[in-house]
Amino acid sequence: MTDPPAHRDRLEPPEELTRLLEEDPADLYENAPCGYLSLVPDGRVVKVNRTFCDWTGLAPGAVRGLRLPDLLSAGSRVFYETHLAPLLRLQGAVREAALDVVRADGSVLPCLVNAIEVRDEGGRPLLVRATVFEATSRRRYERALLAAQRSATESEARARTLQRVVSELAAAGSPEQVAEVVVRRARAAVEASGAGLWLAVPGPEATARQRPVPVAPTASDGLAPALLAELAAAARGGADLVRTGGVRTVPVGPGLRAAWPALADALLGAGQDAVVVVPVSAADDRHLGALVLVLGVVGDSELISLAEPGTRGSLPQADAELLATLGRQAGQALERVRLYQETARQATRSAFLLDAARLMAAGHGVTETIGELAELAVSRLADMCVIDLLTEGGLVEPVVAHADPARRALIEELRDVHLPRRDGAHPSVRAMVEHRTVWLRGVDEAELARFTTSPRHEEVTRALELTDLICVPLVLENRPLGVISLGADARRGTFTEADVETAEQLALQMSQGMDVAQRYELEWRTSHTLQASLLPPEPPEVPGYALAVRYLPASRGADVGGDFHDVVPLPGGDVALAVGDVVGHDVTAAATMGQLRSVHRALLVDLPGPAALVDRLHGSWPLLGLPRMATALFARLDPATGDLRIASAGHLPPLLVADGRAELLDVRPGRLLGAPPGPAPEWSGRLAPGATLVFYTDGLVESRSADLDAGLDRLRAVAAAESADGEGIANPGALCDRLLDALAGPRRADDVALLVLTRLVGDPLAAPGGGADHRSHRPVAGAGDEEAAVDQARSDLTDALEGASGDVSVSGDAMRWSPERAETPAPPVAFPALDVAAGLGSVLGLDPAAVRRLVTGAVDRLTTVAADVADGLLLLARDAFPGDDDR
Amino acid sequence: MRDRTPPDGDRDAPVRYGRRVSVITRNCVRVRGPESARPMVFAHGFGCDQTMWRAVAPDFAVDHRVVTFDHVGAGGSDLSAYDPERHGSLRGYADDLVEVVREMDLTDVVLVGHSVSSMIGVLAVLAAPERFGALVMVGPSPRYVDDGDYTGGFSRSDVAALLDSLDSNPAQWSAALAPLVAGPGNPEVAVELAESFCRTDPRVARDFARVTFLSDNRADLPAVRVPTLVLQCTDDAIAPEPVGRYVHSRVPGSVFTRLAATGHCPHLSAPEETAAAIRAFLRDN
Repeated sequence: MTDPPAHRDRLEPPEELTRLLEEDPADLYENAPCGYLSLVPDGRVVKVNRTFCDWTGLAPGAVRGLRLPDLLSAGSRVFYETHLAPLLRLQGAVREAALDVVRADGSVLPCLVNAIEVRDEGGRPLLVRATVFEATSRRRYERALLAAQRSATESEARARTLQRVVSELAAAGSPEQVAEVVVRRARAAVEASGAGLWLAVPGPEATARQRPVPVAPTASDGLAPALLAELAAAARGGADLVRTGGVRTVPVGPGLRAAWPALADALLGAGQDAVVVVPVSAADDRHLGALVLVLGVVGDSELISLAEPGTRGSLPQADAELLATLGRQAGQALERVRLYQETARQATRSAFLLDAARLMAAGHGVTETIGELAELAVSRLADMCVIDLLTEGGLVEPVVAHADPARRALIEELRDVHLPRRDGAHPSVRAMVEHRTVWLRGVDEAELARFTTSPRHEEVTRALELTDLICVPLVLENRPLGVISLGADARRGTFTEADVETAEQLALQMSQGMDVAQRYELEWRTSHTLQASLLPPEPPEVPGYALAVRYLPASRGADVGGDFHDVVPLPGGDVALAVGDVVGHDVTAAATMGQLRSVHRALLVDLPGPAALVDRLHGSWPLLGLPRMATALFARLDPATGDLRIASAGHLPPLLVADGRAELLDVRPGRLLGAPPGPAPEWSGRLAPGATLVFYTDGLVESRSADLDAGLDRLRAVAAAESADGEGIANPGALCDRLLDALAGPRRADDVALLVLTRLVGDPLAAPGGGADHRSHRPVAGAGDEEAAVDQARSDLTDALEGASGDVSVSGDAMRWSPERAETPAPPVAFPALDVAAGLGSVLGLDPAAVRRLVTGAVDRLTTVAADVADGLLLLARDAFPGDDDR
Repeated sequence: MRDRTPPDGDRDAPVRYGRRVSVITRNCVRVRGPESARPMVFAHGFGCDQTMWRAVAPDFAVDHRVVTFDHVGAGGSDLSAYDPERHGSLRGYADDLVEVVREMDLTDVVLVGHSVSSMIGVLAVLAAPERFGALVMVGPSPRYVDDGDYTGGFSRSDVAALLDSLDSNPAQWSAALAPLVAGPGNPEVAVELAESFCRTDPRVARDFARVTFLSDNRADLPAVRVPTLVLQCTDDAIAPEPVGRYVHSRVPGSVFTRLAATGHCPHLSAPEETAAAIRAFLRDN
């Protein structure tokens, strides 16, 4: 092995080089390729080399005496104090600390610093030696790396934000939740001081050209109430929150100030620099709303923002792109959530309409049904429901309902006090007048003021916190029936088009249902009014007797029937009793019954006996043109004696209850009224004190499930049981109820008329020698007993009228009645009753002239009726027996 | 799966034990000095860990129950306990401190906080006034960023630059440096360094820097009701004297002591002077 010459050359440097290597230590220090600083332990510089001074442009004298941190930039100063100095003290050395030295000209010299602490034997610091290496390129490279790393970190953060948003949106079940997620995440992602999401409210009036109006923030985060209010006002006022285009940053400047001065002030007041508007759009680019972020240095974070005030007027492109993506994500999530909710609500709506249809089909009265509909609507479709019905008198008292029990009082006050006037601006009136649905979206103060009619009205309406109001007219064949108004308040949110459609569907159903119901109700009211007029008044008191009547219509069909009862006190003291049954139980039957009763009363004018009455009715039937046949029982009672005469026109026999037994009287029925005439035998007997007579119609004893005999047996059994204690029937009303209860169930196929008469025991009139032949017993007038005087007077009057009847009317068989005689006007003066009446009047202290007028008038009227009847009978006779005239 | 709940009678004990263990280890709590002596808790500031108190704490351990600890993310603390949300504000650090004090059942505590831990101390004292008897603030600043008439000493860009410099000085360097320090003359120091030395998780360090330099606790100062000492260094670039005087003026009845020591860490650069000032304050209060 030999050493190559080159190797030797390296070991022995040239002389020139040797001289250079033996350099001056001072020069080596001063001109070393690094800065060199010596510090005392508190950091003050005590020695510095020229290299450092050359690099920094600082004179050695200017450096000496300063603390090292004084030579550093602020960031490096902090690093020195918090890291470098403590570590030097603790570790004795630091290496490669990156510090920025500030040059004399203020520029920064990036350096790397190594330092060691020189200590004495006790470990106390004596000196710090620091070498400073310029690291501009390295630091530039580091910064570039750092920037790239930060960019990557930010990019990763954005990706993470997006990822979180997507996953959180997937879990969101309502627009509110979607809004909350997007607002929170977007705000954090761009470090906005506040954010809010405004959703546009779609509606039928929003056409393609009209921009949907964002009414309220669906979610907000970090926005002060005042700022939020101004943003909301701007949104309501039509600020360009929702429009085509990407993310827009609007700095608080002259432009914003010109358009929305109040908003600009609020932003400035809150220390904000800019508003960022991010469109929230669906997959098909429809705009659903806007995400609004506010940029500034003042937020609700606990930490001070690093951004200088007034420097956040713009947004980095990457952030803007992230926001745009978030806006699209939000839009799609909103669409999905809405679709889901809409599907659920549609199911609810369908169920609601079905229930409403069932309700209307149930066939209750109109008022009851719309009341139930209103309740149904507030539980399913709206928060508030008012249904006004239109009548001849205008809008009648509406039916109201509210979902919130706490607000029922409000809505009821609205109903009771604040009926909208027909000419008012109230949306319900508008809906009815214009025959179209009125949908008020966002019921605001201006709207309230427009349609309310008084301060209290306004107050109450405001307290209802309505957000939306739908008024749908109830119209059938262009005829307005009323209007249904549905309101939504803040808790429900706004209505959708589907809600409006449902309301319209409901209104249509209601209109049709109400039309039918109103027609039915009209018929029902009419027949009831008629029936009320046809039914006899309460029966008069009959002294010495207890009397009760009942009338029950059939339980199906029209609530009117052909049964009737009648109790007529007759001049002279007798009482006429009647129970009848016109075939059928409809309006025609009721009308026939009414006529029959009138004719009955008319015929009573000349006091025919029961058999004669039946005869006359037979005779007049075709003339009266009554469309139905009828059965009837007529009786004539002398209350004083209990003497009773009864005739039956095809009617069921009366029941006599006495001594604990109940027997059907053997009243043999004549022919039905309306059938070819035939004589009706007259039953006569006497009603003993304590005995009870029951007149009834077949509705009581006859049913579809049991035959007549069984019914009659049951009737007897029940009546007998009622009087089994031997005390008799003291309370005919109770017997009526008992009989109806036992025999006529709640489901009656036919009407029932019932008349029960009990002759009371121990009544003065029933006393022996008092009642039986009272006609012959005439106490002297003015005998001191006023009652007796009245009785006496009554008897006289009876006698008189009886006497008079012989003059003015026809008695006996109508066929034997002389028309000639009937046509003879009654001579009022030849009327002995007048004198008697006058005498009675004087006994009673009445004006004789007045009594005369009374009696004459009565007789006149009766005479006229009798004459009319006679005319009718004459015609009837001709029709019935045409051959007679020819013979 | 088995029910891991202990039997009824023992339900309390293991849980308490577990909690104590977790809080104590979470903050790497170390205790020295007589058990019955007045407790003194030293809280380190931003940038290092409890070793910062190395030159001062032993002096007090003679007659105090001295407790030192690491904030979560620093020194020997349990990094897994770091919660970006909880520790996203000084309140979270104060809550940690109060938990330690409660867990050790300390009362009449003298709380010595350096730098940002002065404000953590203020929040802890306000959160658990029944636990604390005195507060010593070493180089306090309630707000570093200038704000109108208030001068904190830093602009926003200064703080941004500081955060940048932290990024340029990854914390690993201290660990990498440790073996070098194990010089032949300093065996004791070498051992300590090998264990832990101002180790800070870089992510936590940056967050802690943000929380430290971007907090504003001026409004909390007037609520402090314990005897308070404000220790102010000469030429403190981080907490200049006007800031210390501001703190003194806002904390009712506080004592202001200006040290000859320069810089921001008098407990390191001038431990004797610092300890003497604290002792003087404790003697008078």
